[in-house]
Formats: sequence, structure tokens, C-alpha cells
Amino acid sequence: MIKFISKGLYTTIQDDGRFGYRNIGVPSSGYMDRESAQIANLIIDNPINNPVIEATLIGPTIKFEKSTFICITGSDFNPMLNESRISLYTPVEVKKGDILKINNSSVGSRCYISIKGDIKVDKVLGSKSYYSQISNSSVIEKGDEFKFEANDMKPIFKSIDQKFKLNNNIKVFRGPEFNCLDKESINKLKNEEFSIGINNRMAYNLKEKVKAGVSSIISSGVIPGTVQLTPSGQIIILHRDCQTTGGYPRILQLAEKSLNNLSQLRTGHKIKFQIVNL
Amino acid sequence: MEFFNLNENSILVSWKDELNSSLTRLISSYKTEILSLCKDDIKDCVQSIKSILLIIDLNRTSIDEIVDKIKKIDYEKINNYDKPTKVWEIPVCYDLEFATDINLLSDLNNISVRDIIDAHLSKTYDVLSMGFLPGFMYLGKTDKKLHCERKEKPSLNIRKGSIGLALDQTCIYPRQSPGGWHIIGNSPIEFFNLNSKYPCFSRPGDKIQFVEISKSQYKSSSNRLDKPKLIEL
Repeated sequence: MIKFISKGLYTTIQDDGRFGYRNIGVPSSGYMDRESAQIANLIIDNPINNPVIEATLIGPTIKFEKSTFICITGSDFNPMLNESRISLYTPVEVKKGDILKINNSSVGSRCYISIKGDIKVDKVLGSKSYYSQISNSSVIEKGDEFKFEANDMKPIFKSIDQKFKLNNNIKVFRGPEFNCLDKESINKLKNEEFSIGINNRMAYNLKEKVKAGVSSIISSGVIPGTVQLTPSGQIIILHRDCQTTGGYPRILQLAEKSLNNLSQLRTGHKIKFQIVNL
Repeated sequence: MEFFNLNENSILVSWKDELNSSLTRLISSYKTEILSLCKDDIKDCVQSIKSILLIIDLNRTSIDEIVDKIKKIDYEKINNYDKPTKVWEIPVCYDLEFATDINLLSDLNNISVRDIIDAHLSKTYDVLSMGFLPGFMYLGKTDKKLHCERKEKPSLNIRKGSIGLALDQTCIYPRQSPGGWHIIGNSPIEFFNLNSKYPCFSRPGDKIQFVEISKSQYKSSSNRLDKPKLIEL
């Protein structure tokens, strides 16, 4: 069992996401930075889409009531095991009674903690991912406890040579309503930097506006990575917890890898769009 | 019918036709056929007012393969007019306790409260799309007398089961939420039930018929059903 001694800023359990229910308005959810989360599983020989702990900006402190192996990936939060610094992207053995303090993120926004064995969380509509409207909890609270399946055998670790790096070059495809943009707006999107405003698991708002004077469209499907432009010129990049349909023009669509990169950026960071062909 | 590749694993299939019941029927027939042809190759399939968005499992197939399959669909064959449409009968109480914006709308559209209710009851609506919230239904089209913009200032707490009006559509709020539609009534039905394998009884392509109930009927337990009455037409 593990117990949360402190909860951090916004800590959740996430797996690959909830599929097959977008048709009735249920978001996909799942790891914000899918690549980092999956590597955390691979390194300790877990199934690639196993549930992991996702920490945001300020991490939790976790007490282990059972020995196991863990792996931390994503942004470096300066994690300590019993007050000794531990490495990222490598398997770490934890013993019964050990205390893992994740601390605060130095560079990016999110880190992932995989635990050898399966974290026991109720599956709702086929996924263990937290989402406030669907799962029993929306965020991990102080005192929360989770069982995990014991596995006494020392796993065969995989060595993955990966270093975490922020990437503010956001690769995008043209969206279904790209053509509603005028030349000036397209130039601005191509050539200028944009800074990240209010953001969460649902969407990243950008601070700079693009005054293209677009009007609403007939509500249609959206997915994580869809870039919407509102009539007032606000740019909204939808992320993993986004709604399933929307009425704003979909001007761009992030490539999957850039969706992972974006999830590691935070308020004030600059991004640049690079329009690429699909 | 047009195809647009949205990203590495998603396609948007859209129609330019004018919105009416036969377009909704056509899109629903396509959706059903695509899902039966492609089964597990499709991870998610979102039907909305004039489009279908497909998220594809690239471990099993490719976008090109799916597009080929869709292009080969013979619409005349799949559009079986004898196939029954599901019509769900939804009880609504229009009492002022629930209809928090009905007086506002009455002033805006210069129409009596009774006429709003009668106009709302006068049509059987298509479930055009679901989204915004889990189980939130967009229904259309409403009678012209009911057309209105969204409220200038959205309400922060719209009651679960609320029936709203905006643009040429009416909607159902499956749970408490903020929102900008004009609220004209409330239904005691459970619209989103996580304990069920199919949390929503209704799907885009089904139809909804509202029936008026009194406040005492609303409060009586017989109307608090998990699933409303189904008529197949």
C-alpha cells in the first residue's frame, strides 16, 4: 500500500485514457505527457498503459507500506527518497516505510511516478484516469491510500536513454476551419511567439490574440490538441480533459508529440507554432 | 460527404447539406454502418450536427483503409426507412420553481409563457449531438418562436435535469453545471448513470418527445425513472 502524506498541487491517477464514450460527451482524459508516462512504465517493465501518478508543479509526499520498484519521468521535481536525491528515468527500489518526497518542479510542469505492479483504483467506463465528472475522485487528497499488487520478483529493467527537455516548438496541422483565417492572421500564427496563459488539464489559453473576426461554426467534434479561435480572437488549445464537441473554428491541430511537449510548459512560457503537412 | 484528416489518427467526415431530420437520419445511418464495418478499428466515434469524427486505432488499421471503407458504403442500401427510430418520452415540469428563465424569454421573444410551453411540446426533436458535459444532449430544431441567443451572462448553477433553449435548439442538462441556455423546465429522469454499462439511454440519431407533468407528478416517485418510456416509430 502507499499513503499520501501530502497531496501536492494537483495530483491524479492517469492511464492511457477513456475510449469509446466521446459519443455521449465523456472526455478521453489520460496522461497529459503520454510519452513520459509510458516511459515510466516501460523502464520498470510495467504494461505500457498502466496507471501512474501524475504530479503538477508541486509534487506529493508518499509513504510506502510495502517494498517495490518505482520510476519517475518527465520534469525534474528534485525527488528525494528518505531525504536522498534520486534519479529520473531509472528504476528505484523502495522499501517498506520509505518516504518519497517529490518536491517542486524546476523546469517543466509534470512528472510521472510508475509503481511496479498495478495500482488499485476503480475502473470507470474502462479507465482508471481521474476526471471530476466521472471517476469517484477528481484529485488525490492527503491521507488517500492505494493498494498495489505485490511482485516479489526483481523485474527485468529496460534501459531507455531519454533526457527530459522542454520544447516550445509546437508542430501543428491545418485544422478544418484554417481557411477562415486571413493572410495577416496566418502570418502572425506562423511567425510570432505566443505566451501561455491560464491552463489546466482541459485547455491551454494563449495570451496574445489573433483578430481574424471569425464567427462560430455549427458545433462539431473536437479532440485533444484542437486549436480553437473564438470570435474575440482568443486562442484555446484543447488538452486531454477537453469536451467532445465545440462551436469555435478549429484553425489548427497539434501533432501528438507536441501535445506532450505543451503539457510540460507553464504560464508565461512562450511557444511557436510550426505548421506542417499531415 | 467530405473527409478531413484532423491528426495522425483522426478523421472528420462532414456534410454540407442543410440541417433537417433527414440529414440527421443520414448521418446516423452512416455512423451505424461505419461502426459495424470497422468495429474495433475505431476507438471513438463522435456524431454531431453535420459531421462524424472518428478516432482510429493505428495498431489495427490506417486512415486510408477506413476512408476507403466509408467511400464504398452504398447509402441507398443502408438507409433502411423501415428501421424503427427510438423515440424517448421525457416528462418535463414547466413550473416557475424550475423554469428560471421562462419569464425572461417571454419578454425577449414577446410570447406568453403558455405559448413557450406549447411550442416546446409541439415538436419531436432529433438528438443532434451530445457533448459539453457527459450526457448533455443537443436537440433540434425548435419552433421559430423559441429561437434565442444564449444568455448574456451564463448561470453558474444550473439544476440537474434542466431543459434549456438557445439558438434553434433545446437541450437537457444531465447534472448540475454552469451554462448559458434559457432554462424553461426540469425533468426528473436520470440522464447519466455511471452504474450502467451504457450510461446514457439515448444516442445521437434518436428522437425526444417532451410531455408536460405537474409539480406534484414531478415530486411523485413514479416519475423518477432511470430510463424514460420508449416508443419505436
